[in-house]
Amino acid sequence: MQKGRPIPTLTPSMIAIWLAFATVPLWIEKVGLYQYLGVEILIFATYAMAYNLVLGHSGLPSFGHGAFFGLGAYAFGLAQQNIAPDLWLCLGVAVGAAAIGGALVAAFISHRRGIYYSLLTIAFGQVFWFIAIKSHAITGGEDGLLKIERLPVRLGFATLELRDNIALFYFVLAVFVVVTLLLWRLIHSPFGRILKAIKQNETRARFVGYDVWRYKAAVLVLSAGLSGLAGGLFAMAQSSAFPDVMSLHYSGYVVMMALIGGGLVTFWGPVLGAIVFLLARDVIGAFTTGWMLWFGLLFVILVMYKPEGLGGLFLRPLSARAR
Amino acid sequence: MSIVGLLPHLVNGLALGLLFALLALGFMLILGLMEQINLAHGSLFALGAYFAYAIATPRLPLPPDLLAIWAAVPLGWRFTAAMLLAPVLVAPFGVVLERMMRRTYGRDPLYGLLLTFGMAMVLEELIRTVWGTRDYMLPVPRGISGGFLMLDLIWSTYRFWAAGFAVVAMAIVWVVIERTRFGALVKAGAHDSEMVRALGHDLEKLRVWVFVLGTMMAALAGVILAPVWGIRPHMGVDAVVPSFLIIVLGGVGSFWGAVLGGILVGMVVGLSGAYASEWSMMSMYLLLIAVVTFRARGLFGKKSVLEA
Repeated sequence: MQKGRPIPTLTPSMIAIWLAFATVPLWIEKVGLYQYLGVEILIFATYAMAYNLVLGHSGLPSFGHGAFFGLGAYAFGLAQQNIAPDLWLCLGVAVGAAAIGGALVAAFISHRRGIYYSLLTIAFGQVFWFIAIKSHAITGGEDGLLKIERLPVRLGFATLELRDNIALFYFVLAVFVVVTLLLWRLIHSPFGRILKAIKQNETRARFVGYDVWRYKAAVLVLSAGLSGLAGGLFAMAQSSAFPDVMSLHYSGYVVMMALIGGGLVTFWGPVLGAIVFLLARDVIGAFTTGWMLWFGLLFVILVMYKPEGLGGLFLRPLSARAR
Repeated sequence: MSIVGLLPHLVNGLALGLLFALLALGFMLILGLMEQINLAHGSLFALGAYFAYAIATPRLPLPPDLLAIWAAVPLGWRFTAAMLLAPVLVAPFGVVLERMMRRTYGRDPLYGLLLTFGMAMVLEELIRTVWGTRDYMLPVPRGISGGFLMLDLIWSTYRFWAAGFAVVAMAIVWVVIERTRFGALVKAGAHDSEMVRALGHDLEKLRVWVFVLGTMMAALAGVILAPVWGIRPHMGVDAVVPSFLIIVLGGVGSFWGAVLGGILVGMVVGLSGAYASEWSMMSMYLLLIAVVTFRARGLFGKKSVLEA
């Protein structure tokens, strides 16, 4: 724990990343891609950042985060159709529902760590996935929850429509900015320091006198809530919510994203991971139908030879700061 | 529902439980003896089923004449051949997987988990590429297919045969790990690897054999369960979750824990199927959560890598 220099709220790299994203709609179509991909990348980058709060910053290898993302997506759609079609309200419900789901899981597993934590999060993830598939009347089962609208942003003084993918992109970017800023503050706060201590040595953290259980539960609830936020955005982007985002596959994908980009060693790793993952899906997918075959192999090779992820290769100057 | 009414569900649950135990056994071997979580276990299980399908139906990449000769062989022989050959054909995948996992030994167990998750995705996609996304059914020889009447109820003959196969396979594994020198060495290696090395045993080679045994068990489970559950690309993921669940339930590193865990899961699925068949597969997760809440290490668990 380095003392002295306070961690700035805004860093040059942070602003550079935000600005770089802001230019995406200007050139993404010129390089042969499409606007919706940008939206998807930002949503999954937000999700992966939220997830990494658990994996990278607290050392808790959750393998069931799809449940929270999915809870957010369904909650967004259901709130819109049953409570009121207001964007802020629906996103709030998405965060709340996912956080409650997170609290429920946390109550059972926060005394666990390591692989046990992974296995139990898989089990809980499957329970949520199963409920989503079987509750036909509420979630539409495997057909999904359809007709979710892209609600307009009401700012009081103005109302912005999000039907256009570019408009939605900038809205998601705004959410991304808020979330990353929040996470940055959070992990450099005393709370974040304690998480880091738990990651390094849980037993020692406990002996020093911290109520480790409470911190582990709190971080899962936070991470789940933010994952639910990303899920709500995804439901809006897709105009529907499906159970497959809650499956073990998708829960694994977000772990892959966080790890590929180097979430274990750098703050921005998950963002890089989400970009690489979704670009690979489209680029490899353009050549072959079985893109996961090749991407999975690349991932396995990465785990074997470069377990700290790409972040360790490309983000050196950044990592020194973010560590 | 009276007790008599429940009986068929109990019997079916027991038969299903033995199949679940068989499914979990390969996973248990690799976890209990090598302290490695093999999330690709389900994919090896799926490969076993697909290979068995290719051998038994028969859809093999052979010259047409040879294939015609093989197709003329009675199904009973083809099914037996599938049961014996499919595990052997899947074994090399296990060897490759073990070689890859070597790089993760001694590191955070998370990396082993991630590596095998990646391989599970790769194998699932490989299956989709080779066999497509459609469902297949492994035909069962006439002698052991169909159903029979007992107590005025219709029972599936194959389920009982499958449960019998499962018992035989489990007995073989038990003998191998509890009654042979190989088993003793492997268990000693899991307990104190330095000592086993110091005594001059090649632990690397032993680990490969454990992995091969675990892989073959997974594939054999795939063959035996294929006629019951059907063959489809995501059967691997459908299978790996119950297997780890059974191990966590029974306790890591315990053979009888795995067997009992499997039977418990089978019973719970069978009984809940009697009341709410739609939700029966969920009951096992609730069982797991209930057991693990009160008994942190499962029923017969010892301290293990899971708590690292």
